[in-house]
Formats: sequence, C-alpha cells, structure tokens
Amino acid sequence: MIGANPASNHPIAFRWITKGREQKGSKLIVADPWFTQSAAMADLYVPLRPGTDTAFLNGIMNYAIQNNLFHREYVVAYTNASYIVHPDFKIEDGLFSGFLESGKYDTSTWQYTGEKDPTLQHPNCVFQILKRHLSRYDIKTVSEITGAPADVYEEVCKLYCSTGKPDRVGNAIYCMGLTQHTHGTQNVRALAMLQLLLGNVGLPGGGVNAERGESNVQGACDIGVLFHVLPGYNPVPSAKAHPTWAAYREKTTPSTGYWVNRPKFLVSMLKAWYGEHATGENDFCYDFLPKTAADHSHVSTFQDMTKGVVKGMFAWGQNPVVGGPSAVQAREAMKNLEWLVCVDLFETETAAFWKAPGADPAKIATEVFLLPAACSYEKEGSITNSGRWIQWRWQAVEPPGEARSDLWIADRLFKAIRKEYQENGGVFPDPILKMKWDYGEAECDVVKVALEINGYEVATGAPVQSFTKLADDGSTACGDWLYSGYYNDVHNPPCKRRDNVDPSGLACFHRWAFSWPANRRILYNRCSVDPSGRPWHPERALFRWNGTGWVKNDVPDFNAKLPPVETADKAFIMLPEGQARLFAPGVKDGPVPEHYEPVESPVGNRMSGQQHNPLAVLWKGSIFDKYAPAESADFPYVATTFRLPEHYQTGGVTRNQPYLVELAPEMFVMISKTLAEKLGLKSGDWVRVATARSEFKAKVAVSSLVRPLTVQGRKIEMVCIPWHWGFQGLATGAIGNDLTPAAGDPNTRIPEYKAFLCNVHKV
Amino acid sequence: MGQYGVLVDITKCIGCRGCQVACKNWNDLPATKTTFTASRTNPPQMNFNNVTLVNFHTIEKGDKVQWRAVKMQCFHCLEPICFEACFVHAYKKTPEGAVVYFNPEICTGCRYCQLACPFLNIQLKWDEVFSRVRKCDMCYDRLVRGLKPACVATCPTGALKFGERDALLKEARERIAKNPDKYVDHIFGEKEVGGTSWLYISDVPFEELGFRTDVMHESIPKYTWKYISKAPILAVGLPILFAAFYVYTKRRAENEDGGH
Repeated sequence: MIGANPASNHPIAFRWITKGREQKGSKLIVADPWFTQSAAMADLYVPLRPGTDTAFLNGIMNYAIQNNLFHREYVVAYTNASYIVHPDFKIEDGLFSGFLESGKYDTSTWQYTGEKDPTLQHPNCVFQILKRHLSRYDIKTVSEITGAPADVYEEVCKLYCSTGKPDRVGNAIYCMGLTQHTHGTQNVRALAMLQLLLGNVGLPGGGVNAERGESNVQGACDIGVLFHVLPGYNPVPSAKAHPTWAAYREKTTPSTGYWVNRPKFLVSMLKAWYGEHATGENDFCYDFLPKTAADHSHVSTFQDMTKGVVKGMFAWGQNPVVGGPSAVQAREAMKNLEWLVCVDLFETETAAFWKAPGADPAKIATEVFLLPAACSYEKEGSITNSGRWIQWRWQAVEPPGEARSDLWIADRLFKAIRKEYQENGGVFPDPILKMKWDYGEAECDVVKVALEINGYEVATGAPVQSFTKLADDGSTACGDWLYSGYYNDVHNPPCKRRDNVDPSGLACFHRWAFSWPANRRILYNRCSVDPSGRPWHPERALFRWNGTGWVKNDVPDFNAKLPPVETADKAFIMLPEGQARLFAPGVKDGPVPEHYEPVESPVGNRMSGQQHNPLAVLWKGSIFDKYAPAESADFPYVATTFRLPEHYQTGGVTRNQPYLVELAPEMFVMISKTLAEKLGLKSGDWVRVATARSEFKAKVAVSSLVRPLTVQGRKIEMVCIPWHWGFQGLATGAIGNDLTPAAGDPNTRIPEYKAFLCNVHKV
Repeated sequence: MGQYGVLVDITKCIGCRGCQVACKNWNDLPATKTTFTASRTNPPQMNFNNVTLVNFHTIEKGDKVQWRAVKMQCFHCLEPICFEACFVHAYKKTPEGAVVYFNPEICTGCRYCQLACPFLNIQLKWDEVFSRVRKCDMCYDRLVRGLKPACVATCPTGALKFGERDALLKEARERIAKNPDKYVDHIFGEKEVGGTSWLYISDVPFEELGFRTDVMHESIPKYTWKYISKAPILAVGLPILFAAFYVYTKRRAENEDGGH
C-alpha cells in the first residue's frame, strides 16, 4: 500500500483487507510519509519523503532483479523484457536520448528493433536496459533519497519480493499519494512494472489497484468526463492531427491488439449520438465532434479565464475553489467569468467565490446560478467502483425542495438549448439540432439512457449483448463500448444482479452486478496461468487447459477458442505488441521511471543533474507561475496534503452535516514534536503556513505520528495539511489548496498536490 | 438463550468512527458544538448527547509509535452497579444482557448511578439540577426486534462483533490463543467488576488505552450500596452541588473565552 490510506479514506475497502489478513494470513506493508490510520494497521510500516515514490519503487525492482527474486518465466512470456531496443537508446544524467531544445523528447531511439532475445542476455534488450538503469537504486541510495531507514526498507524489499515466487501473489494498492506529482505517471508505472516483474498481474489477489478518490470517479472516467478522452477511452480528436474521420481512424487505430476495433466503437458512439443523421456518406457526423486545439486541462482552463478565452463555467458537482491547485489564483481567474452555473447540494465555495474572504463582490460581475441537485440516494442510476463493477442504485427518497437529479437538469438544459437554436439559429446549429435525444418528452427516463450506453441494433432497437457485436457500418449504436452488456436485458439487466455466489472461491462474483469489460473480473487473466495453460498455483486456478479445452472460472481476456500456445504471447490484448511494457516507448517523459525531485524540493537530486521532471508542466507567465526554488531558505519544510475519514473531498457535503462537523470541526495542520519544539509550538496554537502561492492561518496539531526524515544527512521536517475546509458550510477554515502548486505531470497534467515547500510561523 | 454482548477487537478498528455517528443517528441525538482537539477525539469526553465515543490513542515506545482507536460506551455489567445504586429502580438488567435506563419517569436525578459507575459511562446534563440520565442501552429497541446494535451494524471491518456473550468469550480466547504474539493475554470485561457484556481484546495493554484495570474482579454493587445508603443527605445535596459547580465553571470558561 503506497500513497493510499484506505483506513481513513476507503474504510469499506479496508473490510476486505482485514478479511484477507484474517483468512489468508496476508501481510500488509504500508509506505507513507506519516503514520496514517492505515499504517497503524500494518504489519510493516516504512516512511518515505513525499515525492520520492519512484526511487522507492525502483529500489524494490532492483532488489528483485539483483537477488533473482523476480518471476522469470512470467516476465519472459508476458512482458516485453526480451524486446531489443534501438541501439542508440541511452540514459544519461537523468535524460533519455532524443531530448529536444523544445523540452520534449524525440522518441525515435526508444523504439523496438523488432528482434527479441528470450534469454534476456542481449545488452540492448529491455531487461538488460532496465537492470542497468535500476542498478543505481541500491538500498543505501534509496534510503538517502527517500528517508526510509535502510534496515526497514530492506525488510520491505525482502517481504514484497517474496511474492515473486509462482505460488505467491502480491497486491499493490495506490491512491493520490502516488499520482499527484509532476512524475505521477512514472510513479504508477513503477508500481505496475514491479507487479509485472514479480508476476503479480492478472491473478486473483494480485494487480495494480487504484483506490479511486470518489465513489463513482471510475464511472466518470469511463464515460468520458476527462478533457482528453471520449467515452470508453477513445482519444478526443485534435484539430491538427485528426481533422477528418479518415485521419482519426488511421492515426488512432493500431494494426494489432484489441484497439483494431476502435472504428467500430467510435462509429457506434456517433450513431448513438446522431442517430439517423449519422451515415457512411457524412462520416457518421464525425465533423460534429469538438476538436481540441489547445490544452484543456484544469489549470489551463482557469488560465484561459484570465485571457477571456473561457467566459462561462459549469461546476457540476465540483468545487474547484477548494479542490483545485493554487486555489487563491483560481479564484482570481474566476472573477473574469461572465457566468457561472453550479449544480450542487449546497452553496459551495465555488458558487460563493464572489464573497470569499478578501473578495469585493462589487467588483465581480459574474452572474452565478445555483441549481440544487439531488444526492445519490435521491436519484436512480449506476455507480462504478474501483474494481470496475457497474452497480445499479435505486432511489431511496425524494429529493428535498426543488432539488432535481443531474439527469433531469441535463435533459432540461439540452432541451432549452435546442429550442433556442430552433428558434433563433446560431453559427453551427447542426451538432445540437441533429443530436438524437429521445429519453422522453416531459421527463427523462434513466433506463433509456442506460440502454443507449449499453448499445443496440439500429434496425431493431434490440440491446446488443456485448461489444463484440458492434460494427463500423452504422448498423449498431452504443454510447460507451466498455459498458456494453451492463444493460443488455431490459427486464433483468446485469448491473442490477445481486447474487453473491462464488463457485470458484476466487472472489469473482460473476452474478453480482456487471464488471466491464464483458463481466470480466480480472483483467489480463491469461497471465494467471503459465504459457502452457497450467495455473501458477492450484489455489489460484482461474483457468486451466485440460488438453482439449479451457476450464474457466472467469471471462477469458484472451481467445479461449485457441490452444494456450497461440495466446501465450498475447496476454495483454489492449497493447499492439500483446505483451506488457517494462519499457514504454510512448510515455512522454521516458520509457522507464527515473527519480526526479518534486518541482519544489528541500534537496538537490541525488541521481542526476535534472532537478525535477524535465517535462513537468509549469504554467509559466500565468498567474499560476509561482514556485519556490529547490532548497529554498524561505520555505524549508516539505508539505503534503491528506484527507480525513470524516470529511469527503472539499467538504461541500460533509461540512454541512452536523454529525460530521461534530467529529472534525476545525481546520488544522499537523507537525512533528521536533518541529514544534523548534518553533515553540504546542497543540492548539495558531500558526501561519506560507508557500510561494499564498498563506493561511490554522491551528497546529503536534503529533508523534509525524516524524522528521533523514535525507542525505539532513533532517527534513514535514507539514501535513488536510484540504477539506473552506469558507462556506457549518464548519469553516482555511483552504488547504490555497498553498498547493499548479505544476503538472506531462502525461496527465495532474497537479503536484502531494509534495511542495512551505514555512510555518507562530501567530 | 444466553445474554448478548459485543466483542471489540481493538486490533481491527481502523478508527472510522462510523459507530459514533450510527449511534447518534439511530438514537436521534443532536450534534454538539465541538472545537479542535490534538488527538482528533471529538467530543473530548462522552456527554449527554454522545453516549458512545471513539478515543484515539497515540502510544510511543522509544522509536516506535502506535495508534489505536477505542470505542467506549456503557460496558453493560453482568451485575450493574447503577441498577443497585438506584433507589427508585429506574434501571433494569434485561434478559438480553442490555442494561437499560428503563423508567425515566421515576428517576429523581440523584446521580447515584453516575457516581457509582467505575467507568464513568453514564451521562447527565450538567446544567440541569435534576437531570435525567442517558447511557448506551445496546440499542435495546433494535435488540428486541432481532437487529444488532446500530454501532455493530455499521462497523466495516468487524472490529465490533455482536453475539451471545459466552460464544464471544470463547472466540476472544481463540483469537488470543491463535495469535499469542499479537494480543495481550487479557479479555477486558471477562472478569472486571464480575464481568461485563462488552468484551475487549487488544494488542496494546489496556492501561495504555484509558481502561480502568484497577477495578475489582467481583461484583461491586453491594459494597457501594452499603456506603451510599448510609448517607441519605447525599441524595439531595449532591445534585445541587454538582449543578452549581457546572454553572460556575461554565461561566468562568465563557468569561475566559470572551477575554480573547
């Protein structure tokens, strides 16, 4: 468990962790900067400095390789370890070959030559490149970077690498502690690579498991609530690269792997959206899709407000004034909005940004609309959990007052906009006027929406049974190919199933709800057996080749009509090469993870001359361009943000709940006893916490759960900051994210909430 | 049918405080105004509107630190002292095991019960002279309908387990025997004050988690009653005295707050 604290933030998930330990004797390792509630439950706890996860994980991989504890047969069969890489590929001083003056990489030397060496001896095969690269991450070096005591770290390496044996399995759990960094993608990749080296992917009890930050954030991502993907993880078209359907089809469809079906998924989506108007002659209305010409990530969108590019905003169940990075600057940017629509249960800080402390309402011209929304128990629909289970939820009670479901609001909004275009026209009315929107005249029927997402045959209207039935000729329509099958029976839709039988005893529960894709419970499950089809361990026999056919305990993630030998090198069907990437030629900041310091760090980079990720996204020249230099004397302490069990995210709901306010009434920051002694502080004193962005006042909690870490011979102190409070609701307090930097990961733009620099003064 | 009880396994409690909220929710108790506490325990003590409370403990031993969450409420003694101390019989030890403040109409507000309870698990309104009492009743209204107490029903990790006391005691012994290196060899509530319906097992010595382990191992009602009954003046005098103390200290606290 790294960068995750499910005991606090996912308590129901912890139920299963507790069960696993009781029934299977599993050991729990927790790596976290401070002694969290999850750490208190651990068999083995190891601290690490915020922002050093890559080094920490690289070190465990190095330990596995150096001590021959990795799962060699798995690695050879199911990963690209044997692939030979371009002879000019190099890693020098923290930079990979092909670094351009523009600050990006030319990745031509990162590509495969097409040859393989299953003995893993070729000096330029992926395995040898990885082995050389990781050899720099020995225990002493990792300990110096991370502050993890060397003896404890070694114990962690030893215990976790014991899962590299075929008869054992290790489960990796992570959350925002791993992702919210300027090298967040590399952190997660390092964890995934560790799991691959140890043969822990695709097996019951294994995997790389994200504890999603919100109960339905998985569903939101699946359905396209991200700036760069359409439903089902198809890329949003770019104006430059994909001006036409032909260009999109050609550039986003690989020649091998399951994404060869992308055109079927996209055409079916366009048929669902534009119905009879979408035909082969007009490229299924591809031209109606908005195309991006710039970065539309969170911070860039707020930056665009300052430029007058973004004039209006819907904050729909979102509270960026508390939840976004550099929230002070975000509030400044919002003052330029002409209009703002907030859809929420309460008047959030975002809805009330114009009356924030220090703001002058007389000078803010933004017209704000607040639409009261129904909460989850006051409406019907599906919710998708971290394990990709799509579960239908029924309405329990009527919403109060004028509150309405999000679907009701979206439906009325669309109909009003359509009416406006019908009556008064517009610059480009077709994408609105030709949109298929037939969920009911007066009231929107949620089941009709579900059926469209599931997909149907255009001619008959009958639901498609699964995405394998989708076509690229316009004969099928489907809102999200991944969800195909979840609502394929109007009377008994799989997402409403609630039968918890588990015949295999492997916790698959195929008759409980529906797991995308295809009700498959474990992804990449070809890896649960060896190349010849034998389970790695009889207790985890998800499949077994009996000589003539497969004995199945899950929906195969491979072609089960074929004998094992024909699918052994295609276990990762979503990748064109069919084998998992220990070396990823497509990741923007490097094919293998390398340690970089956070953008704001108290120390220099021990590993190279690159202080932080050379591709980190810094919004230079904007109001967000406020970063402290490395080893800053003004801001000597490492800050990190965290969440409490009692409040949910920005507290928009929970700070209006009297019982929860009683439990966690006031904002505070947490520091060690040693820092408190140095600053003359005791619990309950008021402190001023300052960063390069802003400062606030809060009470201080002096706690032995936070301890300084020894990094490169220096004691590094930490300040732990919860981010649940704001100026609205029953419990008010400083906004933690007023202090966090708008510095982004180059692959995802996720901000570096989890590691930055601050100073603390007694008030 | 034997008496019911609850087994609390402190090693399995993640400190989510779902039980604390579930208790208030089921019993319809109002939220109280709280302020920052360093330990995050809130409210800092049980009170009239919080008859169960999760206490957070940080235990330091040299370089090592441990953190534990301990749910507190009435332990439901097998021979309850509160029942014995009450001269109007407002209390009842039910056949199900719950000790219930059954007859509030006849309660005089004498506070004997609270004084008598060695664990300080009975709550009153300190700003009322003759206050009614409130304590955990093991959700007796749920019990008689075949439901578990609200706190147990909401616990996500199984740290709280409801069942017949004898069976729970056996399970507690088994858990300790199976993991002798992990658990302290002590079932709190097995013998304390002659036994309680709530049982606790832990990996941290109970003294370090705020438990009173210095109580006698036999039933104490008779002892206490013997002394209190000899001093009838207390029945009238004590409530007034305590209420006066409360009003005085509250005012002083308010004045001090106002000075800042």
